[in-house]
Amino acid sequence: MLPNLGYGSLVITLIVSIYAIVSAVIGERKNLYKYVESARLALLLTFPLLTLTVISIVILLVNQNYEVQYVYNVTSSTMPLYLKVTALWGGQAGSLVFWAWLMAAFGTAVTLRKWDRDLDLLPWVIIVSSVTLVFFLIMIIAFENPFIRFWTLPSGGELVAMFAPAGSQLIHPFDGRGLNPLLRHPGMIIHPPMLYLGFVSFVIPYAFGMAALITGRKDDRWIRLTRRWTLVAWMFLSIGLILGSRWAYDVLGWGGYWAWDPVENAAFMPWLSGTAFLHSVMIQEKRGLFKRWNMILVIFTYSLVIFGTFLTRSGVLSSVHAFAQSAIGPMFFIFIGLSFIISLAFLIKRWDELRSEGIMTSLLSRESLFLINNLLFIGILVVVFWGTVYPLISELFTGQKVTVGPPFYNSTTGPLFVGLLLLMGIAPLSAWGHSTWKTLGKALWIPAIGSLILLVVLLVSGVRSIGALIGLTVASLAAFVTIYEFWRGMKARHKRSGENYLVALWKLTVRNRRRYGGYVIHLSVVFMAIGIIGIELFQTETQGRIAPGESLSLAGYTVTFKNLAEFDVADGRNVARAVLSVSKNGKDLGELYPRRDFYYDSQQPMTIPGVRSTVEDDLYIILVNWEQISSMGATFKVFHNPLINWLWYGGFLLVVGSFIAAWPDPEKEIELVPSRILRKETGKLVSKP
Amino acid sequence: MENSHTDEPKNQKKLPRWVIIAAFAVLLGFLTLMGWGLRNAQQGPVQVGQKVPAFELTTFDGEKIKTDDLIGKVIVVNFWASWCKPCEQEAAELEDAWRYYKDSGEVVFLGVDYVDTETEAMRYLEKFEITYPNGPDLRTAISQIFRISGVPETYIIDKNGKLASRKIGPFVTIGEITSMIDSALNQ
Repeated sequence: MLPNLGYGSLVITLIVSIYAIVSAVIGERKNLYKYVESARLALLLTFPLLTLTVISIVILLVNQNYEVQYVYNVTSSTMPLYLKVTALWGGQAGSLVFWAWLMAAFGTAVTLRKWDRDLDLLPWVIIVSSVTLVFFLIMIIAFENPFIRFWTLPSGGELVAMFAPAGSQLIHPFDGRGLNPLLRHPGMIIHPPMLYLGFVSFVIPYAFGMAALITGRKDDRWIRLTRRWTLVAWMFLSIGLILGSRWAYDVLGWGGYWAWDPVENAAFMPWLSGTAFLHSVMIQEKRGLFKRWNMILVIFTYSLVIFGTFLTRSGVLSSVHAFAQSAIGPMFFIFIGLSFIISLAFLIKRWDELRSEGIMTSLLSRESLFLINNLLFIGILVVVFWGTVYPLISELFTGQKVTVGPPFYNSTTGPLFVGLLLLMGIAPLSAWGHSTWKTLGKALWIPAIGSLILLVVLLVSGVRSIGALIGLTVASLAAFVTIYEFWRGMKARHKRSGENYLVALWKLTVRNRRRYGGYVIHLSVVFMAIGIIGIELFQTETQGRIAPGESLSLAGYTVTFKNLAEFDVADGRNVARAVLSVSKNGKDLGELYPRRDFYYDSQQPMTIPGVRSTVEDDLYIILVNWEQISSMGATFKVFHNPLINWLWYGGFLLVVGSFIAAWPDPEKEIELVPSRILRKETGKLVSKP
Repeated sequence: MENSHTDEPKNQKKLPRWVIIAAFAVLLGFLTLMGWGLRNAQQGPVQVGQKVPAFELTTFDGEKIKTDDLIGKVIVVNFWASWCKPCEQEAAELEDAWRYYKDSGEVVFLGVDYVDTETEAMRYLEKFEITYPNGPDLRTAISQIFRISGVPETYIIDKNGKLASRKIGPFVTIGEITSMIDSALNQ
């Protein structure tokens, strides 16, 4: 029986993980390596065990075993195969299993590496990973079991339970309820796993950070070991956020991409602290500064990951996202409380030992600019956090739940984002240790002239929005500086080695992956900034009911309603599809087909906009309503979204940059321990036998 | 928070006790807030079939509407806000539905503007040409009665003052609205 197999495997995983914790603690306490090794092997076992659980669920989903409540809730017979498989994370129970499975996979990956030099960290990494895993497993088994089934009792009553009650029979519903149609978008299929990947992989840097904190290791070994993890985690989180925006843009049908909804903020907050962490670890590596700060950031990031998961699943904060509420809220709450308090306690305990090894000497040095960068990120984090929990605070103190809307976030975070863009333009040119206005100015003036030219061009072409002028000028400075950096490096290489420019560019990037990958990511951020400035400041819209032959005009475009048809499709949808012809300044640009799909199985409608995308802008049309006799007319909403596609291009570039930066670099790996660390090594760091 | 300047090697003072206490106090405060929010959330919204406590809506025009006076009619309570994008999706449909029922005298529409500024709200009502009574949710009293989880949400109260149905999120077609109202009318 598949449900029993999957469930049994879950329970065994729980036992094995608890064993891993106990064994690791014993090994650590008694200084006996064999116990730690046993714990390591136990953690290794969790991955195949949970894989068995995941396979069981997927087979149940694909085979349409509707007697299983989870299968009944998230699938239906009309759904294509790939949606049945991805329904694994389409509901609460399944997504928790998916979370645990990823956690086990990462735990396994971590324990498989060579530990000889870092054996003192190993037990604690195992303990932190396993405790997180145990928590999720308990939640699944006790509250959100994906394997519970429908039974009829001899008395005629019905029941959902894991095991057959005496004398009862399984109920096999004819069909399932089906996945929420809003979630059938490709972006929504990949978005959750990307977010989970990002969330779960941040557990690893945290586990190492805590291990370093608990064992009292003061060097930056934990940072070097988890550098790549952090970058990959950050990349997945970024992809998740971008795909979520894309989904909102395509599916929610309001022409926007980000609404500062609590659920969105929940995923954005760990991204903010994670991005700050990515930058500030470099300072610890290069200069031995910011040790406490990095510890704080990694604890923040982990806590925000767990906090975000709690927010999205407990219903504590109101959100336009409809998430199922369940009994896991209190469990999560206890876990959050414990992990926060324990992290803070260890941080305080080791506070004095985590002193910086140097001091900052110059305001314009790279490390000082990185500090400002961190402060800006934390500033944004504080604003978003405050806005997110503000409804609760206001309700507690005044009895009214006051929600802050996008205007609050836009006006408060806007200047901070501009500040970050500006730093992105300046910081790459400043030197570690010491920089002056003179040295900085020398490097900066060529890109700065480029930005000034752009500013003049914008002014001449009639742009008068202060926000856009500042934003685009600053963004262009960051872009020019980045391109200039590539150019300078490429030219120097070309001169030195005689390689042609393309080869020089390639080798330059490959030899300094982290640096140039980072630059590519900076460029991607500029792209995204351009897209955001475009849609935030220049979006226009119109709405109107028009009869066939009539037109709506917006931003130079004319859309003419041709006809509308309503028909059934074999996969269980009723489709109402309008045909509109689009022209711009008299030139015919073809047709757009906004439509509304009605899913019979879930009784839910879904709006699919007709979109014409170009580098310059999107014309985005929604079919709002129509008369039963289509010749009477239909209501359309038309959005003109300038530059929005730059946001998605930026998303692609971000992935490219992350891959460049995170790609394993065998040459560098050999000289992994810099002289500074070797010097600092003391008896405390010696690995256990 | 730490910054580099307090972090010099010669500055080897221990972390002051008050900082530790303050850090834990902030953490505990935060946890209390979350715990309290969680307790509220677990209560969930008003259930279908339950009697809805009476409330009063003061419209933007200053008129006071008491639900007590509306017993015998079906009441459609729609929570919205001008900053709420999904609300725009259903605004035209709600107005159409109102115009459809208006003359029967059996159905009352109440728009409750949730956490908003009046100017923005008035602009919104103008834009969608909304004619049924709308008013701000003063002291968020009404939304707390329903324990809404966001906007838009719509609650349909039957002739006996009991909750007939609720819709979380926007209506997409007018048919969706009328079928809910009709079933409340026929109860």
